[in-house]
Amino acid sequence: MERIGWQEKWTLRYAVAGLVFLAMSGFEGTLMRTQLTAPEALRGMEAALNMIRPVAHEPSSAELFYGMLTVHPVVGIYGFVYMCIMGAFYFLVPFLLQKEIRHKRLVPVNFALQAIGVLTCWMSGFFGLFNAMYTLYWPLPVSYDRVPLVGSVAFAVGAAVIMVNILLFSYNMFSTVLSRSNPRSYSFWQFLRAAFGIPHLMRLFGKEDTTAVNLDYNGLPVFIVAVGRGSIDTVINALVLLTAGGLILIYGLSALFKTPLDPSAVDALVYKNWFWWGLDMVADGNALMYTAGVWYLLIPLLVNRKLYGESVVRTVIMADLLVSLGVWSHHLLGDRAQPLVMRLLSGQFITWGEFFTMGLTIFAALMTIWQARPVKFTPALKFVLGSILGFIMGGAAGLIQANVGLNLVFHNTQWVVALHAHTFLLTGVGMLLFAVIYALIPMLTKLEIRSQWLANVHFWFWIVGSVVMAYAMGMAGSRGMLRRTIYPLPNPYQPYLAVAMVSALLMTVGFVAFLVNIVGTLGWANVLSLVVPERWLTPRSGLAET
Amino acid sequence: MDREERIWFGVLILVFLVFNAVTLSPLVPWQKWLLWSHPTPDKRVSIEIENYEIHLPPEGIEVWVGEFVEFVATSGDVTYGFGVFRPDSTMVFQMQVMPGHENSILWKFDTPGTYDVRSTEYSGPRHPEMFIENAIQVIP
Repeated sequence: MERIGWQEKWTLRYAVAGLVFLAMSGFEGTLMRTQLTAPEALRGMEAALNMIRPVAHEPSSAELFYGMLTVHPVVGIYGFVYMCIMGAFYFLVPFLLQKEIRHKRLVPVNFALQAIGVLTCWMSGFFGLFNAMYTLYWPLPVSYDRVPLVGSVAFAVGAAVIMVNILLFSYNMFSTVLSRSNPRSYSFWQFLRAAFGIPHLMRLFGKEDTTAVNLDYNGLPVFIVAVGRGSIDTVINALVLLTAGGLILIYGLSALFKTPLDPSAVDALVYKNWFWWGLDMVADGNALMYTAGVWYLLIPLLVNRKLYGESVVRTVIMADLLVSLGVWSHHLLGDRAQPLVMRLLSGQFITWGEFFTMGLTIFAALMTIWQARPVKFTPALKFVLGSILGFIMGGAAGLIQANVGLNLVFHNTQWVVALHAHTFLLTGVGMLLFAVIYALIPMLTKLEIRSQWLANVHFWFWIVGSVVMAYAMGMAGSRGMLRRTIYPLPNPYQPYLAVAMVSALLMTVGFVAFLVNIVGTLGWANVLSLVVPERWLTPRSGLAET
Repeated sequence: MDREERIWFGVLILVFLVFNAVTLSPLVPWQKWLLWSHPTPDKRVSIEIENYEIHLPPEGIEVWVGEFVEFVATSGDVTYGFGVFRPDSTMVFQMQVMPGHENSILWKFDTPGTYDVRSTEYSGPRHPEMFIENAIQVIP
């Protein structure tokens, strides 16, 4: 029996749960891709599932498709990505600070609540047919002639559980970091001043802010700074989405108790600005900062060299926080009701701030590797490089669509969702999380990754599959194919859909190679020991807690 | 910042300036009138959308090549989209149609022919049905 620490075991549990959610999200993605390619192909499965769906009528294929499409990103982002991030940070933050997590009891609580919240949302779409999409444009989520009332309430409850849980996780992160860097008491405003990097700015001008909580300099590792800064975005995201979810819940419960409220009481444009301001804190905020932080941590470890340009990197992390607060209007470039000055400033110019912050981040990452030559291309380093490619591709596509002129022909097309969003998520964030898993397993368990060949199969199938799928659908988007639209056959997008389907299968092969390798590395007994109580296992099997 | 970082930062600034200058300039055809000249429309076309149905003017939409047409769309319930597509399904332009607001866009067609209209924003499970073939006739 391998003996590992309590925290390490929980990190592995988070990783396993995250991978299960990735498999769920991928399976749903494949089902939807199948439906787009051959709309009749899933009829048998639909009929079987309809027998256990708690809805009054026989749902149409479109209702099933849009129910799945609504929860697909929730499972992918709040299931896979957040689970893996929580698990990794719960190990790495105390490891780097040489200090235990401040509130250890929250670790299993976060695990359970995240899983419950994601599964509730998933069931609201997959079984309850809630279909208002993750964008939840007002008043669609409360238009009960289009979305099922019970599904809407269930989705809002699930989302609220997720958001409250994320707030608890962020509190634990801040609490752990701050208890190390500044054991004194501090006020909320002192904390906010530090969080937004005011002491760092003052230092640039030769002044010391001695009363502020330290979040950004005086010895904290760059990774911790990035986690701290990214968690500001995480908190804002959770609070804003909680208000939106709360609003939907109030309307839902009112309708449920036969006292429906008037949806026109809420202005759709104000709501959309508020919602996207918060939602973008994930897409253009914490995702970039957490990613940068993980690159800054992993790359020096993997190539055994100090991070290049560390002082610039710390400033970049702070700048990225400010940029993320102002970019949301790039999601409203198609809204002619949004003032032009907002579309130009927030939508286009401030969005380019990310070009600078990510440009400098990637430069620092690549220069660190370059200066460390010759380097050993371990699986983790290969996946880090793959993730950098994903962020370059996804970022370039994002800048093209976040343009007042070009958005006119790209908005809501497959370009946005494939070449930008899925490249970011599958090639960028996905490969980064695989890199973290490849790097952390030996650290956590003292076991070496078993098969380099399987790791290579995973790498090549995943990167080729994700890039080709993104390009195929991106090309379909540039030819006018809309996202969230089922086209009857025949349609001009079928060749692109066929290529994307094959690419999805390539990614599946890569993912299976990864799972086989990880299970082979850990052994079945160890994997089982993550979910089965220790006393049920024989003394010689499983990962026991020290 | 060391020398390499300064050079790289300069490259980033250059890309930012060139890309934005080009895409905001009249090199992107529609920027001529949407961003710079703001001409008075020759024609105004009202579109009402409600309950998954796009209501075009009863007389149809006929415009001349080169004339400026203002499309004004309103929604009676949820957010829709108003997109104009060529017969080969490529997009000419689009805008969101948000309830409670007047949504308008000025356009100048440069190629004669017929164009399709499709809702470009998801509005519920019947969203894919919101398609009108040959909705706009552009006369040479």
